Amino acid sequence: MPVGRLFLKTSAVSKMFSRNSFIASKPDPSKPNMLRVGLAFGSTAVLWALLFKQHRTDVHEYKTRNGLE
Amino acid sequence: MGLLPDEAKVLPPPGIVNRNSVWFGLCGWATAMLHNSLNRRPALKAGVHRQALFTTVGWFIGYHLTKYENYKYATLDRDMNEYMRLHPEQFPEKEPKTFAEIVEPFHPIR
Repeated sequence: MPVGRLFLKTSAVSKMFSRNSFIASKPDPSKPNMLRVGLAFGSTAVLWALLFKQHRTDVHEYKTRNGLE
Repeated sequence: MGLLPDEAKVLPPPGIVNRNSVWFGLCGWATAMLHNSLNRRPALKAGVHRQALFTTVGWFIGYHLTKYENYKYATLDRDMNEYMRLHPEQFPEKEPKTFAEIVEPFHPIR
């Protein structure tokens, strides 16, 4: 069998992501994807909370280890 | 502290607002604005959630980077001081000279 034939994608389901022109649409700024926006703001809040918690832990650790409390 | 050993906790932690955090936060914000510009959207008014997320990620990375930097400098200082303590002959105390002894004599040419 020729080598080229081995690279033929003859499977019915293409494993490569492709945009079907029947369902694709231009990104519409007036209709935001609220899930994505919510996740972005949510992870922002989580990161700030983690940062403040880590800072608080660090300050406490520093004070206890140097006997300042 | 994933990449810092336990002894690093003796050091004073950096403030929430520190140089690396501000810089990385601004870089993240600039990245989000660049993303907007390259997709032909208004740079500041579009994708505020993206700007906030990128700025926060930068700030977070900057804080931990500052902690790591403080620890590295502290270990260098400790090693340097220990070396100076073990080899005092290489670091003699010099008497401070006054300026009168150092400065060359002044010959005015008027």
